[in-house]
Amino acid sequence: MDSPSSQFISSRRMGVYDPIHQISMWEENFKSNDNNLSVSTSIIEEGDMKLANQIQSEDASHGIFGTSVNYDQGANKLTDKTQRRLAQNREAARKSRLKKKAYVQQLEACRLKLMQLELEVDHAKQQGLYVGDGLGSNNFGFAGSVNPGITIFKMEHEHWVEEQNRQILELRTALSSHMDDIQFGTLVQGIMNHYSKLFSLKSAAAKSDVFYVMSGMWKTTAERFFLWIGGFRPSELLKVLVPLIEPLTEQQRFDAYGLEKSCQQAEDALSQGMEKLQQMLADSVGPGQLVEGTYIPQMDTAMERLEALVSFVNQADHLRQETLRQMSRILTVRQSGRFLLALMEYFQRLRALSKLWVNRPRELA
Amino acid sequence: MHQKNQIPDPPPATADGGGGDGNGAELDNVVKMVSENPVMVIGTRGCCMCHVVQKLLQGLGVNPPVYEVDEVDEAAVAAELSRKVVGGGGDDGGRVQFPAVFVGGKLFGGLERLMATHISGELVPILKDAGALWL
Repeated sequence: MDSPSSQFISSRRMGVYDPIHQISMWEENFKSNDNNLSVSTSIIEEGDMKLANQIQSEDASHGIFGTSVNYDQGANKLTDKTQRRLAQNREAARKSRLKKKAYVQQLEACRLKLMQLELEVDHAKQQGLYVGDGLGSNNFGFAGSVNPGITIFKMEHEHWVEEQNRQILELRTALSSHMDDIQFGTLVQGIMNHYSKLFSLKSAAAKSDVFYVMSGMWKTTAERFFLWIGGFRPSELLKVLVPLIEPLTEQQRFDAYGLEKSCQQAEDALSQGMEKLQQMLADSVGPGQLVEGTYIPQMDTAMERLEALVSFVNQADHLRQETLRQMSRILTVRQSGRFLLALMEYFQRLRALSKLWVNRPRELA
Repeated sequence: MHQKNQIPDPPPATADGGGGDGNGAELDNVVKMVSENPVMVIGTRGCCMCHVVQKLLQGLGVNPPVYEVDEVDEAAVAAELSRKVVGGGGDDGGRVQFPAVFVGGKLFGGLERLMATHISGELVPILKDAGALWL
């Protein structure tokens, strides 16, 4: 960029009129353009000669500031004042932008870290863990360091829960009203889509830290008690919820039972796959011999096995999603609404139970 | 390539003798098996998802032969199957991915499709139609 040097030329021209201003400008330029130091001397000399010519040939600069900028890159038709001003502005703007960018980047990093810490503290408190000695942080899989993917997931999950709480209220109102089926259907579809969103959030988080997702670390204690491959077990859920949405027709009851059975079969297959994975993992870690780095290949194998866990999470979530879809096919629109409400309230109650549990009065040792 | 012998859970599956001395013979063998069996599973050796597929089908009373492919041969087998069985431009629009389930000599899909059709109740009728299941 030529602005520093052109600045020098113009400032030199102005030197006759405003030496103090010129000096402060030079100082500013020295600070920001240290590498121009050697160049500036020769430019100043050049400027001297040009200045002499200028005074003889040019009119005093007037009227330029008021008029529109007549900027011609080739010739120096623009008056000195304007040229200097423009260059100054450019420089200041550029520095300002850079400063702002650096500041924002720093802020973002701190913000992420702060959110991570806040959530960790909250979570640990929720579980009744003692917070403050750093031991709790081991639960999060990344001893001490911030995993941005998981931090983002935690944030997004919080928003997800808030949105779901809102949907619960909306659904309750809709059920007690005489909303028509089409409108109701839209509401139900919205809730189904919201669950789809959760599954894609989990999928992204699994890529960041599959153990975090597998262990259901974002869930409350009571929810985690029922954990199966990073979430709820569909057949169990059906067993609990289907009786709550009576009355059902014979056919519906039959279909729901069939679905429960299908879920169970799919769950069993996945569970057996998990067992096999565990066995294979143990096999690759177990006989590891620490002989001058030869254990490394076995660790590589173990690492590859762990990647398969991500598939398990995805397949389990896929099963959950399909179960919800099939229920919405079996039931009428209003029944689906009752089913989803029962489902959402169930988890809400589990979360409430967890809180109660954590805050129960305990005897001090 | 080797073929895995079935662990005698329910009735043992018909494990055809696999393996040969040249890739061509083995590939032909795979294609032959696909067309001869009402249900067949092909997967990469050591893949746990393949195990899941197998267990799911066994749980339904189907005991399909499971052909395990070494990782190095995976691409070749997939390509061969895409050509000869799927017919180049199957409704998948792409290559065969493992684990792959073949029903009635045609590519049915992977674990995801298997799960989805099972949950929707469509899988058992399909298996019955293919002669893999009897009432």
